[in-house]
This record gives sequence, C-alpha cells and structure tokens, in this order.
Amino acid sequence: MNTPLVRVLYIDDEENNLHAFKASFRRQYEIYTAISAADGLKILENISIHVILADQKMPGITGVEFFKSITYSFPDPVRILLTGYTDIEALADAINHGDIYRYITKPWNDLELHNSIKNAYDAYKAKIDLRNKVAELEKTNDELNRFIYSISHELRAPLVSVMGIVNLVKMESLFESSGEYWGLIETCSNKLDYYIQKTLQYYKNNKTISEHTPIEFRKLVRELIDLYSYSDKETRFNVTIDQSEPFFGDVFRIEVILGNLISNAIKYQKEGATDKRVDITIAVNPAEAEISISDNGMGILNEHLEKIFTQFFKSKVNHGSGLGLFIVKEALNKINGKIAVSSDLAEGTTFKITIPNAK
Amino acid sequence: MLSKKKTVLLIDDNEVDLKINSKIIEISKLFEEIVLCQSAESGLTYIHQNLNNESLLPDFILLDIQMPDMDGFDFLERYKKLPTQFTDKCLVAILSSTLDFGDIQRAQANPFVIRLLKKPLFLKELKDLLVQYSV
Repeated sequence: MNTPLVRVLYIDDEENNLHAFKASFRRQYEIYTAISAADGLKILENISIHVILADQKMPGITGVEFFKSITYSFPDPVRILLTGYTDIEALADAINHGDIYRYITKPWNDLELHNSIKNAYDAYKAKIDLRNKVAELEKTNDELNRFIYSISHELRAPLVSVMGIVNLVKMESLFESSGEYWGLIETCSNKLDYYIQKTLQYYKNNKTISEHTPIEFRKLVRELIDLYSYSDKETRFNVTIDQSEPFFGDVFRIEVILGNLISNAIKYQKEGATDKRVDITIAVNPAEAEISISDNGMGILNEHLEKIFTQFFKSKVNHGSGLGLFIVKEALNKINGKIAVSSDLAEGTTFKITIPNAK
Repeated sequence: MLSKKKTVLLIDDNEVDLKINSKIIEISKLFEEIVLCQSAESGLTYIHQNLNNESLLPDFILLDIQMPDMDGFDFLERYKKLPTQFTDKCLVAILSSTLDFGDIQRAQANPFVIRLLKKPLFLKELKDLLVQYSV
C-alpha cells in the first residue's frame, strides 16, 4: 500500500529557510513554499494542503495573524508555527487564537520537525475521517427514516387494500364461499400487518426523541381498549384510574407500551373460557404513574418469565411475533420506566409498570 | 333538504381502494350518490364546478392523505378557502392507511377534519361517525 503523499505548505520570508526545508524533506512530502503570506494564500486557494508551516516573524503579517486570517476560509489544514524567538507572547497568542497544532523553534531539528509534520497529518486525517463518518451516518440515518416512512405507506397500503377486500367479501356474504380460503387470507394479512406495525414501532422507538405532552390516562386507555377489543367482544375490562394530578410524558411510547400489554391481555386468554377479564389500574402522583394490567388468561410458565422481554422470544404454544414485549421493554428504557411481571398458570398474568411523571 | 340526494365524495389516488370503499358505501346505502375522484385536484374541480348546483355537492368527503402532487393536507388548505355556505354543510373525514405519528396528529388537529378513519374502512366505524354528526 502506498503511503499517501502529505502536502505541506511552508511560508517564510527567508528564502534560505525555504530551500533548506525543501532539501531536507522533499523525499518525504509534496512540498509547496511561499515567500509571503499572500503567496501562501494563493497556493491554498489552488491546492488542497494538509499541513501548513508558517514563520512567526514576517514583514507585514505574523504567522499567528496569518493563521487567524484563514480560520474560516481554510479550517482543515493543520497548523505549525515556526519561530526563531522563544517569544512567550507569540506563543500565548498562537495557542489562544491561531488554532495551532505545534510550536517549533528555529533552527529546527529535522527529526523533531519530521515527527511534528507526521503527527499533524495524522490529526488532519482524523479530522477529515470523523467528518466523513458523521456525513455518512447522517446519510444512513436519513435513508432509514425515509425507509420507515415508505414501509408505513408503500408496503402497507396494498396490504390494507387486501384487508378491505376481505371485509367486502364478508359484507357480501361470500366469506364462506370458497371453503376456508378467505379465512386464511384474512389471517395471513392480519399477521403481516401486525409485523409491519411492530417493526415500525420498534424503529420509531429507537429514533424518535422523547417529547413530553400532557396525558389523560382515562381517554388513552379507553381509546386503546376500543382499538384492541375490536375483534374480541367477550373480554370484560375493569378500569380504575385515579388521576387527579396532571401527568406529562411521551405519548407515543406510553401508547406503544399500554397498547402492546392490553392487546396481549386480550390475545392470551384461556381458550374457551367464559369469564375473560382484564383489570387495569392506574394511579398518578406528582412523581410517577403506577400502572397494573392484570388478566385471568393462560399465564406464563415460570421458566419463561425471564425471557419474555427478549427479542423474538416465542413460547411454543402461542404464536406471537416475539416482538411485543421486547418493544414494551425498549420503550420503557427510553423513558426511564420500569416493568415487573408475575404470573401463574391458574390465575393469569399481572404486569406492573411505573413511568416517571415528566412534569 | 329532502329533495337533495345524500352525496359522498371519495378522494383517493389508489384505484383499488376507491373501488372497495365505494362498494362498501353502496352496500351500506348510507349515501344515495357516490362521487369518485382519483386525485385531490379532480375533487376540487368537482366541487368548484358544482358550487352553484347544490344538489350535486357532497355532504361528506372521505379524503386520503398520501397522494402524489396535491396531498390530503394540500387539499384541506384549498378547501378552507371555499365559500362557507358549502363548507358549513359538508363534513370531511380522513381515510388513510398511515401509521405516521406526525400525519395522524396533523390530521386530527385540522379544524375541518371530524375524524381520522384508518384503512381498511369498517362500515360500523363509518356509521357511528355519521350518526354522531347526523349526516
């Protein structure tokens, strides 16, 4: 691999120094020299320089002043100041205003100068690499955002049309007309839609910045129950909400959390049970909201309790996506909430959550 | 108003959805006339053409959000400039498959939008909405 050629610009009003520098380093670097600040500027305008060396004492302008003058026009090249004097004032000025990487006294020692230029080039490369990485990340981030948006529209729109057709087939009493085929189409479409929605929730949870708005738990819970009990009219809900305090929180994430838990409580009922029940209790105080969602459903095996919050964990009996509770946990992490679960195969499952009040 | 036929205007760039939703409404007999427009522009043109012909104007509009060129929000911007004799009598609901939080918030915040309905359209939801607003 070729080592990249470092482009060095050396500005000094003493021609002898320029010659000496060239003589010492021409094999190591691509060297540009300038006899004045004005000439140096011309070179900077035409060639992408990595390291600039400037003499401090020049007629008309000091090295530090020169560096100051190119702070905005040429921010990238790394600066090294050369001076024949151990001038403490110039040194202080250089550090405070010139954005100078090294300060070297004349006459220079070839090895010291060589090392300084090498280090300066490394610093230059690190700066540029970082900037490229940031730009790359911003681009990826942007693409991901657009990807999420397009999933939610391009991918979901035709699926929703299919669901609409199935719906129409039911209205026209054709649902049973082809054996179980329409039912299978419906099941598959719903499953696909569920996956799309969960994927979106997961990405949005990762990317969206938390925003605090007032939350009315009564209204929110009512809406979520309406939404998820749509396909199930058998489950009875006992909702007790004690909210006399205003509560501020991240409505998107709280919706995701409660929505997933409520839909699970409905979904994982005991098959054929006649008394399906979900109890939701919420108590709001100035510090936090304590939420309990409790069902008398099929319960969770003790050995599974540890794993239910991990991604793609599915129990053998139940056909979940393995995403719901994982997303709940992730969303709670983002808003500093906590969750605990207890379950009994005979009694059902209780989730207890606390969410800090961001008032 | 007995002489006027109850009319719904469906605006959606997706031909399939337009077909599905008009069929659902047709079966439901909730409206006597169903006008279909495949773009927000053509929806506006239809309204403009019939501003003097009240019998053809819609009582209810179901509007999609995501459409090329003029989207649902652009449509609403133009809609609010229509004469109030018309807009006072006509209700607008959004019908969209969007899950985008921003779109949903924006739609619900719009003073002309009475509800955001999610695709697929369920007859019960539409019926409940129309009863609530006595369309």
